[in-house]
Amino acid sequence: MIFNRHSILAILAAIGLATSPLAAQNDAPIVAAASDLQFAVAEIAEAFTAETGMEVRLSFGSTGNFARQIREGAPFQIFMAADERFIADLNTDGFTRDEGDLYAVGRVVLMVPNGSPLTPDETLDNLAEMLAAGQITRFAIANPDHAPYGMRAREALIARGLWEELQPYMVLGENVSQAAQFALSGNAEGGIIAYSLALAPEVAPRGAYALIPEEWHEPLRQRMALLNGAGPVAEAFYAYMKDSTAREIMERYGFVLPEDT
Amino acid sequence: MDWAALWLSMRLAGWTVAILLPVSVLMGRALAYRQFRAKGLVEALVMLPLVLPPTVFGFYLLVAFGRNSPIGDLWQSLFGHQLVFTFQGLVVASVIFNLPFAIQPAQRGFEAIPVEVREAASCSGMSPFASLWKIELPLAWPGLMTAMVLTFAHTLGEFGIVLMVGGSIPGETKTIAIAIYDRVQGFDDRGAATMSAVLVAISLFTIAVTYWLSARVGRRLS
Amino acid sequence: MALEVMAQATRPIPLDIAFRVEPGELLALVGHSGSGKTTLLRCIAGLWRPECARVVVNGAIWLDTIAKIDLPTHRRRVGIVFQNYALFPHMTAVRNVMAAMDAPDRAEAERTLDLVNLHGLADRKPAQLSGGQQQRVALARALARRPQALLLDEPFSAVDRATREKLYGEIIDLRRHLAMPVVLVTHDMNEAQLLADRMVVIEQGRVVRTGTTAEVMSDPEALRAMGIREIAAMLPAIIAEHGVDGLSRLDAPTGPLFLPQVEGAPGTRVRVRIMAHEVILSRVRPEGLSAQNIIAGTIARIVPGVGPGAMVHIDVAGHEILARITRRAADQMALVPGDTVHAIVKSMSVARDHVARAPSTMKTG
Repeated sequence: MIFNRHSILAILAAIGLATSPLAAQNDAPIVAAASDLQFAVAEIAEAFTAETGMEVRLSFGSTGNFARQIREGAPFQIFMAADERFIADLNTDGFTRDEGDLYAVGRVVLMVPNGSPLTPDETLDNLAEMLAAGQITRFAIANPDHAPYGMRAREALIARGLWEELQPYMVLGENVSQAAQFALSGNAEGGIIAYSLALAPEVAPRGAYALIPEEWHEPLRQRMALLNGAGPVAEAFYAYMKDSTAREIMERYGFVLPEDT
Repeated sequence: MDWAALWLSMRLAGWTVAILLPVSVLMGRALAYRQFRAKGLVEALVMLPLVLPPTVFGFYLLVAFGRNSPIGDLWQSLFGHQLVFTFQGLVVASVIFNLPFAIQPAQRGFEAIPVEVREAASCSGMSPFASLWKIELPLAWPGLMTAMVLTFAHTLGEFGIVLMVGGSIPGETKTIAIAIYDRVQGFDDRGAATMSAVLVAISLFTIAVTYWLSARVGRRLS
Repeated sequence: MALEVMAQATRPIPLDIAFRVEPGELLALVGHSGSGKTTLLRCIAGLWRPECARVVVNGAIWLDTIAKIDLPTHRRRVGIVFQNYALFPHMTAVRNVMAAMDAPDRAEAERTLDLVNLHGLADRKPAQLSGGQQQRVALARALARRPQALLLDEPFSAVDRATREKLYGEIIDLRRHLAMPVVLVTHDMNEAQLLADRMVVIEQGRVVRTGTTAEVMSDPEALRAMGIREIAAMLPAIIAEHGVDGLSRLDAPTGPLFLPQVEGAPGTRVRVRIMAHEVILSRVRPEGLSAQNIIAGTIARIVPGVGPGAMVHIDVAGHEILARITRRAADQMALVPGDTVHAIVKSMSVARDHVARAPSTMKTG
């Protein structure tokens, strides 16, 4: 018969193997963190594991996206948002344990890839000139609809009077990491991304940046909270975030820390 | 190289194939052999996941079994947690959006069996099950195999729906496709390249094995 | 062990047929395509159910629409040979046969293949067999089922002429081993006359005539449904000798018959179809004619046709020869029953496949 014993056994074995449940390696709590924390919190998590032997799993994305997922029952135990409004809303609706803690204040920067005709300066004058001269083809920011860093970028551009003009060339990243990716890919003249990303060792060599004046946008008050159902490991990591090692790392990534404000 | 993500993707594809194999046999066969008034409608419904944009489909799946949906609530009451953002949720979504890949080629495979051959099977004393096992499956096998390979490969690569229904939870719903996307966003080009190469290698291997098996079957039949 | 069938339907075609076949008997269902004969066969096999029908085989009810009995096909012990063989393409010949057995037994399957003259080809797949060989496998498979009724659905139509002749002979030989009723569906009158004991002529779903082969073959009403040119008489004969010039002599009760290229050793019993429209009549024994066969006989009856024709039944030594001539000729010759006439048959008008071996246990009639 076509299905001789060997082929049937092979097929069954393959299916059995493929469908076997994973050994329960993953009781480690999952942290939902805004994309601007991509490198900073990864480092902090490593330090956490090295020091305590406990593990957390990290998931990075846009704040707005995470907030939605949490409302739909996503199994995160900590939420580190890039905008405290999201935490407040979740708290009001009963998804967090409490109002959480302000853990950092972020900044946005104009970053351009190496070789870009655009030069980064905090006045954005060069950007305005190039725009007027029709020399801008693509400019990346995070999606202002659900990413706080995108919202701030928009505010800054409006403040500087460049928002309308820049519209036709705008490329929106799903989150600020993707915006950074677009901005530095060589396909755009640059973009507005998170300061913490611009400082990251993986990103810094790829271009040059300039800090955008804080007065041009709402502050990026980044708040975190423990979510309902958070366990002891999550609590430990939460505490660790507020502790000195973590704070040092955050400072290195350009974050302004709460006691300093 | 995110081995956990790769393993997760393989498991997801494996479960999808395991569940869809009997479905493709039963439904492919029913659609191939029978004429009934609603047949056009059923075939269109089966094809639906093919033509819907993945995000639209993902959205509808979320509405259908996310929080505050009857299915979601049922799952919650049975298992204590939501269906979305879990591996099981991905399997459910994966089974649904692979329906066209699993059923269509199987249907073609069964349609290719001449009616007289099936009638001859009954006349030779074979019950419907005996006929399925001894006559129809050996003849429809290439169609079934195509269906399973397409399903497997498609699942390995599916991104949009997995992201919407599963999120990107490491070890639970973070498939290799998402992991690659993640690496790119994290400016880890080497990691992305490595994982992409592995994925391509697996896909090619799967296709090669299928063609080899198919040729063997073909030789047996001719 | 008899097969009784009754079927009435309005869809897909109007049907109103009933007949009975005795064990060991071969009944031919003849009619044009679309007349309903294949549909009826499928009804017996359980592949189609008409609105009102009854099929009883060997006393067991296979189908009774009124009593709501409908045995599924695989539970009916029916053997069917399809027009295009329908062999299982992925199985060898012997496995095809074994597939129909209750207890698959390779040795037994090979014996069945031998029975249908398929030697040494047991392990070939259908794609590696010729049409005639595939047909034999299909027959073997049907027989392996140990059927209580054997159905042959135009089994020879897809096969070339030479093979068909051979198969006729083999079927006739096989009949010795067939104890069950056999139904043969065909549109070929030659085939029907050579193989069948009894015939049912169907036209547009209705029975036009039932009876023994001889009765039906001489009934113009029946044959109008089939085509007037199909009428033929059947004479038994024994092959006497083969001439060096290609003509064979056969000894018939009516005298010697000279026919071209008859196959078979001297002494073989055969039956010869003599087409009615190929027969010329003469009051006196003609001289100087090219025709080699001149048979004297007595007119039994003359049946005028609707058109210009008339069928003359001639009695010769207890057998009948049919001659189809014009009514005008019959009038001009003033033919009446009881007259002596000579039937003239051209040797070349008897085609090769009009001569077949006579079955040893067949009922003649």
